[in-house]
Amino acid sequence: MSDSVINEASKTVGVINTGAGNLYSLNGCLRRMGFYPVTINQPSDLERYDISALVIPGQGRFRTVMTNLKACALDEVITNWYRDNKKMVGICVGLQIMFEESEEDPGVSGLGLLQGKVTRLQSPKQPMVGWADVQSNEEWLNNQTLYFVNSYGVSASDKSIATVTYGQTFVAAIASNNTIAFQCHPEKSGVAGEEVLKQCLS
Amino acid sequence: MSELISSELIKKAEQGLKSRVIVCLDVAHGRVVKGVNFKGLKDMGDPVELAVRYQEQGADEIVFLDIKATLEQRANALEVVTRVAENLSIPFTVGGGLNTYADVAQFLNAGADKVALNSAAVKHPDLIDQIAKGFGSQCVVVAVDLNQGQSQKQDQNKPLSDYQVFINGGNTPTDLDAMQWLAQVEQRGAGEVLLTAMHRDGTGLGFDNELMSKVSEQLGIQVIASGGACKPEHFTETFLAGSDAALAAGMFHRGEFTVGQVKDELLRNGVAVRNEYLKD
Repeated sequence: MSDSVINEASKTVGVINTGAGNLYSLNGCLRRMGFYPVTINQPSDLERYDISALVIPGQGRFRTVMTNLKACALDEVITNWYRDNKKMVGICVGLQIMFEESEEDPGVSGLGLLQGKVTRLQSPKQPMVGWADVQSNEEWLNNQTLYFVNSYGVSASDKSIATVTYGQTFVAAIASNNTIAFQCHPEKSGVAGEEVLKQCLS
Repeated sequence: MSELISSELIKKAEQGLKSRVIVCLDVAHGRVVKGVNFKGLKDMGDPVELAVRYQEQGADEIVFLDIKATLEQRANALEVVTRVAENLSIPFTVGGGLNTYADVAQFLNAGADKVALNSAAVKHPDLIDQIAKGFGSQCVVVAVDLNQGQSQKQDQNKPLSDYQVFINGGNTPTDLDAMQWLAQVEQRGAGEVLLTAMHRDGTGLGFDNELMSKVSEQLGIQVIASGGACKPEHFTETFLAGSDAALAAGMFHRGEFTVGQVKDELLRNGVAVRNEYLKD
């Protein structure tokens, strides 16, 4: 059964190992959607598979993820993938590291693919935990109810395609080159989350 | 009263987060069990199957309380957690029997989104700081079991100091001041508080909304109300009182109500909830 899936190149998705959390939920979600997730631990792993898209998972803090990515030269993998206009999805901290820096870990550089800074949210309660509707001009994303878990976010970006409001309004999703990244966790957002991810990965 | 209700709803709507309905499952020996006063455990089924069923009903989150997580059963419990993580598309929390940082790390690495600490947090409050630092505040739910002082039961304006903090599954009273403990839990880095009113547990009288209201107002983290729910109206009441989330077990497990019926009731009353669920 799995052979036919493996051979179908368009269904193989590379999940970047940020070393900052388990991948069970994300991999389970990708499999339910009919994708075949493979873990990318080092640049050479890209040559082992015919990967149609990369996913940067959403667990861990800014510093931990950046440190681990650099230690494995995976920061370059992401940057090159982005510059080559290949399909990529970032989740939560996977969105945040695309920016220049974060108030979560001052002095730690992000990938700097996008201009701007991640700041501490002025939300009624912190961390923000729960489901919220996102606002977007994109029909597939507008009014979707998605799961957020974060204390930090990006208040505005010229690459923003969706926003969410919890006390303050901030970026819920960005799109740039062929990359789409979410502040929320689509892999934890029920059927709506799977539909949103499918839209990005198909 | 109606003005109060509408202002609370407007406040919630402006804030933007949905009120969460959480289903609690007790797990023993890798199976979901239902206890009658913690005696005579009855097998209710496979944790993954039941969790997925509640997810389809519209549950926003699942809490697994591993009421018999002894060391011998640890491998089994971790395997269940990983299977849940792979099969569930909503967040879930694991609690019960987690005493050390290593315990917590094992369960988070096995796929749990959050852990719930109760007695361990009281005995070793540093554990809250350590997990918040190591894994982030969003992983730490501190469960606080409160019981109302015997002499104060009829007093509608009882201060929080009349509530006593219990540990060890509600069996052991502590000297902790309830509000001070809750404030400390927040200050040490907990992401949420799961607040159980023991004097309401199993009574079907509804949540202790005066308590939930006071705590929710005073804390800068979210409050999950627990203890006493037996019908959909109880959820409406606690969300109107200010609870951020509300948890129940028996009314769902006994098949009296589905999560969808609770959400229908909430939507009818203007409470914003996630409305992705199967209609009956």
